[in-house]
Amino acid sequence: MRGDTDSDVQVLTKRAWKVIVWNDPVTPMSVVVVVFRRIFGYSNNKCTHLMLTVHHEGRAVVWSGQRERAEEYCVKLQVAGLHSTVERDD
Amino acid sequence: MVGKLFVRRRDARVEVRVSDEGRQLLRDIFVRVVAAERDPDHEWHAPLNGPINPSSDDDDPLATLKRQSDIASNAELSFMSVNEQFLNDGEAWAWLATLQVALRSTALAHGVLSDERLATCEGSVLDEIHTLQRLLYDLANCF
Repeated sequence: MRGDTDSDVQVLTKRAWKVIVWNDPVTPMSVVVVVFRRIFGYSNNKCTHLMLTVHHEGRAVVWSGQRERAEEYCVKLQVAGLHSTVERDD
Repeated sequence: MVGKLFVRRRDARVEVRVSDEGRQLLRDIFVRVVAAERDPDHEWHAPLNGPINPSSDDDDPLATLKRQSDIASNAELSFMSVNEQFLNDGEAWAWLATLQVALRSTALAHGVLSDERLATCEGSVLDEIHTLQRLLYDLANCF
């Protein structure tokens, strides 16, 4: 029983969280690319791909992992003026 | 405003080619962001305080404090460097972040949530949005 409980807790704490960036009608595309590159250190191609996903699909998952880090990234994106939230990766 | 407003130089600094009138506009924008962060009744306060985790009733207070502090720090650094002819990388980033915060706050404060709404905006709001976009286009090209 104890082993099962520990395992359940481990699964719960390790469950991934997603950082979402949402589209808006005013933010220049080049700004989105610069912010992604600066905050995540992704390549220019990856940043452009993510930006286009936001633009065409309304949102993009830009990072996933532990909750604390997801919230840190979300705050950084909001400080840079992008519309960003976190959500559990179910 | 004609020509590039910001140019990245070979020494990595960003040259600011904005007129005195333009700098006054920038000064006003930076002051507005600082004021909005401090004043709950400011029209930009709500846009600056959106949810981090919408599925939770309350966001982590440390995360919201960090956001408040970092937005204000960027706006204050931008304000302090508004008369500079050349910006270092940190100052240029603070300007970019603060201008982008101002752009989205302007849009949200006027209910501009879609392309359709943007197209029907009143002239003064549209002018404000286009000015901020122009500044951001040129500054983003320096990164």
